[in-house]
Amino acid sequence: MAELSIGNYSFREVGPRRYVVSVDPDKLREAVELVVKEDSYLSTISAVDLPKEGAIELNYVFWSIKHRAALIVKTRVSRERPVVPTIVDIIPGALGGELEAYDLFGVVFEGNARLRRGFLVPEDLTSKGVYPMRKDAGV
Amino acid sequence: MRLSVIREVLRNLARRPSTLAYPVRREVTVAPGHRGRHYADLMKCIGCSLCAVDCPANAIVMEKLPQQLKHNPRGIYPVVDYGKCVFCYQCVFVCPVKAYVTSEHFEMADYAISTSRELSLSSIRVGGQA
Amino acid sequence: MLRVRTEGEEVVEVSVNTGYNHRGIEKLMEKNSWIKGMYLAGRVCGICNAVHTQVYVQGVEKLMGVEPPPRANYIRTVVMELERIHSHMLISAVVAEIVGFDTLFMLIMRDRERVMYLKDLVTGSRVHADIHIVGGVKRDIDEVRRDKILSELKVVEERLKYYRKVFEEDYTLVKRLTEVGRIRTAEALRHCLVGPTLRASGVKSDVRFDDPYAAYSEIPFNVVVRDEGDSWARMVVRLEEALVSVDIVRYALEHLPQGPAVPKAFPRAAKVGEVISRVEAPRGELIYHIVSTGGGNPYRVKIRTPSFLNIINTEFTYLGHRLADVPVIFASYDPCISCTERVLVVDEKRGLKKYLSLRELARWGTT
Repeated sequence: MAELSIGNYSFREVGPRRYVVSVDPDKLREAVELVVKEDSYLSTISAVDLPKEGAIELNYVFWSIKHRAALIVKTRVSRERPVVPTIVDIIPGALGGELEAYDLFGVVFEGNARLRRGFLVPEDLTSKGVYPMRKDAGV
Repeated sequence: MRLSVIREVLRNLARRPSTLAYPVRREVTVAPGHRGRHYADLMKCIGCSLCAVDCPANAIVMEKLPQQLKHNPRGIYPVVDYGKCVFCYQCVFVCPVKAYVTSEHFEMADYAISTSRELSLSSIRVGGQA
Repeated sequence: MLRVRTEGEEVVEVSVNTGYNHRGIEKLMEKNSWIKGMYLAGRVCGICNAVHTQVYVQGVEKLMGVEPPPRANYIRTVVMELERIHSHMLISAVVAEIVGFDTLFMLIMRDRERVMYLKDLVTGSRVHADIHIVGGVKRDIDEVRRDKILSELKVVEERLKYYRKVFEEDYTLVKRLTEVGRIRTAEALRHCLVGPTLRASGVKSDVRFDDPYAAYSEIPFNVVVRDEGDSWARMVVRLEEALVSVDIVRYALEHLPQGPAVPKAFPRAAKVGEVISRVEAPRGELIYHIVSTGGGNPYRVKIRTPSFLNIINTEFTYLGHRLADVPVIFASYDPCISCTERVLVVDEKRGLKKYLSLRELARWGTT
């Protein structure tokens, strides 16, 4: 089907078994809580740096066993203040993805006490405060 | 309680060992079609440099030909650095004239042939005709 | 690296400290062309290189609007399943070694060599397949090779059945693997585990079945699920899956469609767009998110390997077990061992700290 409704969020189909919805960061937790109830697990958190638009786009890719489809929740944060609420209390399995996005892009997940630099990035870059996957990182 | 492996072990005592005593006895065989040492046949190469462009290991450098060859107007030929090469054979695949000579030779731990230069140059036949 | 806090013999807390080398690969892919990126993707992991190349090429083909011919899809499937067989044999051997059963380790490795030879026959190398290209495969399978694979598979199948029997019945293995590292169904989903780890906890989720790619939509096969959820179930799931893979390869080779498999040319620029590409690697779901802004290089490639989820999110499974169970549980998740070989053990009560390699921890106490 071309559209999938979960709660009052309407996902649009972008390919076979791929549905996308865009939300604001403050609605993220609500959307995630609804998606998790659809028998789904978080597959990955993919961050894309968009310097031209001054934003970092976060893609929360869920796989729903009930719908047999990937449900992608997109949200954008500004590059100057990339803050988004954590979902680790809803899905403990999001830990790795949030640690990674913080260490590589500098996205701060509010409420996640285990965020730290040096999870993946070696010391010579963390000591300079460089987020290596950003487009202007110079690595 | 089943010691199911004991029978297997006793059977193996009667067989010859599976370990190959390489390099004392050079009985290692690779499958036919194994990706081994390759070089460009200069009687076919047209100097298009697609192999150098595509090489993921940046192992191919184009060098000037020592003599003029009619079918190679640019006068350049590829030299593969076997130290960098990963033997993915992208060069072999992308070559428009299928100029690469492939082999299954894998024993390359020597300095004598560390690039494909000598092998390619020795492929030039007298007369320079394709 | 695992940081294990114990009180005497009992594990109290575990935290995982990892460092992966494929982060550099994501950045490298942005600086290199699509075709070089394909070879980079294959080098993320040595043992699952065919699946990494497959998921990348699949995504890129969607972005470039290229459809590979059916014969190429079947050949790709054959290579990926051969890889699954030898990967599962490897982890079975490693678990046997960690438990102390060296003989079984050697036996499985000897038979694994047969599968490596078959990979060499089809792709040209025992480890790195490098057989994918945008729009198809680089080599075809002829009659001689096909017959050789089918005859060798008969022997491999017999050996796999034997090893499954050993894992199901051998006293030492059963004693050390059952009831160790048990994960309940709800926990497995909440902690986002994937692959055989998830399927051994009662969840029927397999990308080849749910989200088919390559030739899987045309090949009938079973998804192996068990509900014990412990290390033993995980190993048995893998060995059963290896047997299912043998059937898949056999079916694919017997029903190989006619037609070309090797494309004459391939495009070098992709359209604007993004794609989420998923495959079932031997360790679980592998997902790539590829973003393209047109042009010859990707804009962003996000790689999420299955071991990332299975290792980081399973810190809770070690609690309450003895120290000797830690390597067994860890190895049953099929980690890419090169990533996390070292374990730091902190004994709270006695104030001891010790750095050990996984093998040392497994052999501690033996001479």
